[in-house]
Amino acid sequence: MEGKAKKHAKSTLRYLVLIILAVLWIVPIVTLFLTAIKAKSDFISGLGLFEIPERLAWENFANAMTQGRLFLYMKNDLIICLLKVPLGIFISSMAAFALTRTKLKHATAWFVFLLLGMMLPMQIALVPISIIYNKLGLINTYFGLFYIYIGFGVSFMILIMHGFMKGIDFAIDEAAYIDGANKWQNFFHIILPICKPAIATLFITDFLSTWNEYLLASVIINDNKLKTVPVGLMTFVGEHGTDYGYLCAGVLISVIPVMAVYLIFQRYFVEGMAGAVK
Amino acid sequence: MKGKSVKKFLSAVLVGTMTASLLAGCGGSSGSDGGSDDSGSSKSGKEASDSGVDLSGVEGIADIGYEGDPIELSFWYLQTRQEGTDVLTEVFNKANPNINVTVSYYDTDGIKDACKTAAQSGSMPSMWFNWGGALGQYYVDNGVTYDLTAYGEENGWGDLYTSGAMNLVTLGGQVSGIPTSYNVIGVYYRTDLFEQYNLEVPTTIEEFESVCAALKENGITPMDAAGLNGWHVMRWIEQFIEYEAGADTHDQLQSLSTSWDCDAVKKGLERYEKYCEEGYFPDGFITANPDDTYMAFGMGTAAMDIQGQWYDSVLQNNEVTLDNVSWFPFPNETGRMSAFVEMNQFNKDLSDEELEAAIAYTNFLFSNEAAKIYPTYYNLPLPRTDADPVDPAVNPNVQDMLDTSSENGTFTITDQAFPTEVADVLFNNQDAIANGETTPADAAAAIQKAIESYQSK
Amino acid sequence: MKENKTAPYLFMLPALIIYLSVIIFPVFYSLWISFQSGTGIGSMEFVGLKNYAQLIHDEVFWMSFRHTIIWIVLTVLVTTTVSLMLAVLMNQKFRGRTFFRAFFYFPSVISAIAVAIIWRWIYNPQIGFINQFAKMLGLDFTQTWISTPNTALIALFIAALWQAIGQPMILFLAGLGGISPDVLEAASIDGANGVQTFFHITIPLMKDTFIMVISTLLIAAMKVYDIVKGLTDGGPNNATQVLASYMYNQVFQYNNVGYGTAIAIIMVLMMLLVIIPYMSFTAKKE
Repeated sequence: MEGKAKKHAKSTLRYLVLIILAVLWIVPIVTLFLTAIKAKSDFISGLGLFEIPERLAWENFANAMTQGRLFLYMKNDLIICLLKVPLGIFISSMAAFALTRTKLKHATAWFVFLLLGMMLPMQIALVPISIIYNKLGLINTYFGLFYIYIGFGVSFMILIMHGFMKGIDFAIDEAAYIDGANKWQNFFHIILPICKPAIATLFITDFLSTWNEYLLASVIINDNKLKTVPVGLMTFVGEHGTDYGYLCAGVLISVIPVMAVYLIFQRYFVEGMAGAVK
Repeated sequence: MKGKSVKKFLSAVLVGTMTASLLAGCGGSSGSDGGSDDSGSSKSGKEASDSGVDLSGVEGIADIGYEGDPIELSFWYLQTRQEGTDVLTEVFNKANPNINVTVSYYDTDGIKDACKTAAQSGSMPSMWFNWGGALGQYYVDNGVTYDLTAYGEENGWGDLYTSGAMNLVTLGGQVSGIPTSYNVIGVYYRTDLFEQYNLEVPTTIEEFESVCAALKENGITPMDAAGLNGWHVMRWIEQFIEYEAGADTHDQLQSLSTSWDCDAVKKGLERYEKYCEEGYFPDGFITANPDDTYMAFGMGTAAMDIQGQWYDSVLQNNEVTLDNVSWFPFPNETGRMSAFVEMNQFNKDLSDEELEAAIAYTNFLFSNEAAKIYPTYYNLPLPRTDADPVDPAVNPNVQDMLDTSSENGTFTITDQAFPTEVADVLFNNQDAIANGETTPADAAAAIQKAIESYQSK
Repeated sequence: MKENKTAPYLFMLPALIIYLSVIIFPVFYSLWISFQSGTGIGSMEFVGLKNYAQLIHDEVFWMSFRHTIIWIVLTVLVTTTVSLMLAVLMNQKFRGRTFFRAFFYFPSVISAIAVAIIWRWIYNPQIGFINQFAKMLGLDFTQTWISTPNTALIALFIAALWQAIGQPMILFLAGLGGISPDVLEAASIDGANGVQTFFHITIPLMKDTFIMVISTLLIAAMKVYDIVKGLTDGGPNNATQVLASYMYNQVFQYNNVGYGTAIAIIMVLMMLLVIIPYMSFTAKKE
C-alpha cells in the first residue's frame, strides 16, 4: 500500500516537473506560432506578442508557400539532403568498416586524423573552396554544395559508425568469410544492415544540419531556382523591413520535413547514438 | 530475421522519401514558378502574363539594336527586387536575341559576402549591385571595377544622372558605377501626436529638445532608434555632429581628413549621451532591430524616426497610414541632409561590346518606364535628370525630401564615408555611451585611433 | 592475400578524398594566408607572424576570447546538466514519453535565423514575454536583457540553450539505455536511494557518454556563430563578440583576410588542446 502511494507521488512529481519544463520550453514555440498567424496590421495595433489577433491570418502560410516560393526551396533542399545524407552515410560507413573490421595499419591514427574535421569552423573553407569551385565551374551546382557538406559531415559520421561497428561481434565477420563472402559482401550485406540504428541516427542529425545550413549554401548557390530553405527564408527579411508573419509561417512549414524524418527514425535514434557513447 | 529488419528499415526510408517527394510534388504544382524548368528564365515570362502586368511601356525601349556576336552577361542583385527584375530581364533578353543577361539574387548581407568571396577568387560577375562609399571603394581599390570616367565623359553622364548621385559614385577619383538610387535622410514624425501635444516642427536644436521633453513627459518615446548593426542610431548622431561641426568641418570629418578627436565630435556625442540619459530613445534600443522601428512609430508610441525617402513606401507596405505622417530636416543649422547612393558596378574585364550591353541593360532596368511598372522595387525617384517625379498623392514626402536636399545640400552618410572597421568602432562606442561604459571624449579618441590604424595599414 | 592489404584502403578512399579536399587542404591554405597581409585580392604580402603578434594587442580579440571561454564553460556546466536532467526524466517509462522527447527535441530543428528572431522578441523590453509576464504579476520593470553588457551574454546563452538541448539529451538517453537494470536493482537492494544510485552508479557507468557529450558540446561552443550573428551581432559594444563572429568580421567585413584567418587558426589550436586529450582517450581504449 505504502509503496503504491509513494509510486503515485513520484509519478505526480514527475508530471509536475515535466509540465513546468514544458511550459518554459513552449514559450518561444508559442511566440513563433502566434506571430505566424498575425497580419501586418497586428504589428502596429498595439497587440501584445502573446495576444491572439482577432482575425487569424492563415493566409500567411499559403503566401509563404506560393508567393514566398517556399515549396520550391523545400524541394531543392530535399534534393540536396536526399543526395547528401545517404551518400555521406555510405562512404563514412565504408571508412568506419575499414577502421574497425579490417587489418588497416595504424587504424587509430587514421581515425584520429579523420576526426579533426569536426572542430573546424566552416568559414575557414570559404575562400579556398570558392577559388577551386570557380575554376571547376561548380558554383551553382548541387554537386558542388553536397560535396562540401559531405566533407564537413564525414568526421561526425565516422565517429558514430566507428563506435557502432566496434560493438558488433567479430564472429559475424568470420562466419561470413567462412561462407565465402568477400570484404565488400560482408560490409554491404551483413555489417551495414546491422548498423541501421546508427544509420537512422545519422539520418536524423545529418538531415537536420544539412537542411538548416546557411553559410555555404548562400555563397555557393546564387541561382534563385536552386536555393535551399534557410537561404530562401532570408528572402522574407527585406531591405527595409521583415514580413514577420510570412517568415514565421515559413519557418513552421519548413520544419515539417525535418520533424517527419525525426518521427520516422526516432525509435532507432537513441539506440544508434549508443554506438557513439559506448 | 535480419533480412526482415532490413526490409523494415528500407520501408522506413521509403516512407521518408515518399513524404519528401510528395512535398516536392506539391511544390511543383502549387507555385506558378514550377521549379521544374532549369532553362534559366522561362519562368518569369509566364509570371508576367499570369499577373497581367502591362509591359508595353518597356518593350518598346528594350531593344538596343545590338547585332554583334552573342553576349552572355551575369548580374548580381538584391533578392527583394527579384519579382520585377525577373520580368524586365526577360523582356530585355527577348528584345535583344544576341544578349543574354542572367540575374542572381542575394539578400542584403549575402550579396556583400558573395561579392567579396568572388573578388578574392577572381570570379566577379559582369555587373553587380553595390552601395557607394567604403563598400564600393573596396572594389575600386582592388582594381576589380571598370573605370567608367572616360566612358561617362564621352556619353554625357554629367547631364544624364543627377550631380548628387554622380558625386557619390565617384570613388578614388574614378566613376566607379552607374547610380541606381539616391537617398536622403530626414526626420519622419507623427503629425497627430504633435498636434495632440501642441508641438511645432522644430527649426532649431533647442526647439527639437523641448519637443522631445514634451513628448517624454506625455509618455511618448520622442526618438525611435534601433542599435542592432549600429547604422540607425548613427543617423541621429551624425546630425548632432553636423550641428556642432558645421558643413565644412563635417565634410572634412567624413573624408577622414581631420581628426575625429575634436570638440565637435565630442559635443555631438555628449548630446547623444544626454538624450540617452533623458530617455529620449526607447528602452533597450541598442540591440533592437532597425527593421522594426516602424512598429512603435505606427502604433504612435514613438513620435519621430530618422529615415530616408523610401520610408513612405515602407510604412505603407506595413499598413501604416501616411495621413498622420510628415517629415522635417533635422534642425542642424546647416539644413543639410545625409545622403547615400546605390549603384551598379561593372567588371573591369568586360570587352567594349559587353560593357555597352551591360550599361544598356542597367539603363533599361533603371528607366522611367521600368520603374513605372514596378514602383515598389525602386527607391524612387531614379537618380536621373529626366526621372519622372514621384506622385505626391501616393508618396507625399518623397519629392519634398529630395527637393529640400538639393536646396540645402547633403553630406555623405557616415557608414558610407567610413571603412567598415572604423564604422564598427563608432557603433560599439554608441553602445558603450548608451550603457555608460565610456565617455564621449574617450569615444571620440577611440574613433580617431581606429581611423589612424586603418590608414596606417 | 594481396587483396587483403589494399582492400582497407579502398574502403577508406572515397571518404579520404573528400576529407582531404574539403577539410585538410583549406586548413593548410588558411594557415598560409594567416602569415600574409592584404585584402585578399591579388597583392598579398608575406608578413610572417605579424598577424599573430598583432592579436596580442587587440582588445576586441581578447574580449572575444574571454566570451568564447565563458560560453564553453557555461555550455559544459549548464547544457550538460540540463540535458542530463531531461534525459533522466525522459528515460522513465510514462505515458506521453515519445511526445515529450519530440517536444524537447523540437527547438533543435528550427533554423538559427528563426531562433534569433523569436528570442529578440522574448527579450524585447516593450512587447517581450519576460517583461509582459512581469507586468501581469504586477511587477513594473522593463529590464533590457540583451542590451545590458552584464546580462547580454547570459541572455544569449539561454536562447542558445533552448535550442541546443536536443542532441545531448538523446546522447544521454542512449547512455542511460546502456546501463543494465540489474545493476540498478542490485544497488537498490543494497539500500541505496535514488540519488545515491544516480551519483555513485549511474554517472560513473556513463563516463563514455559524458566524454562524448562534453566533447561535441565543446566543439559546438567553440564555433558558436549563428545565434550570435542573428540575435546581437556581437553587440552591445562587443559584449557578445565571440571568436567565430570576430573572425568573420575581420575577413568579410573589414577585408583583413590574413588577420581574420589567424583568428581561425587560433581557434583550431584551442580546439586541438581540447581534442587531443579526447583523442588519446579514444585511442587508448582501442
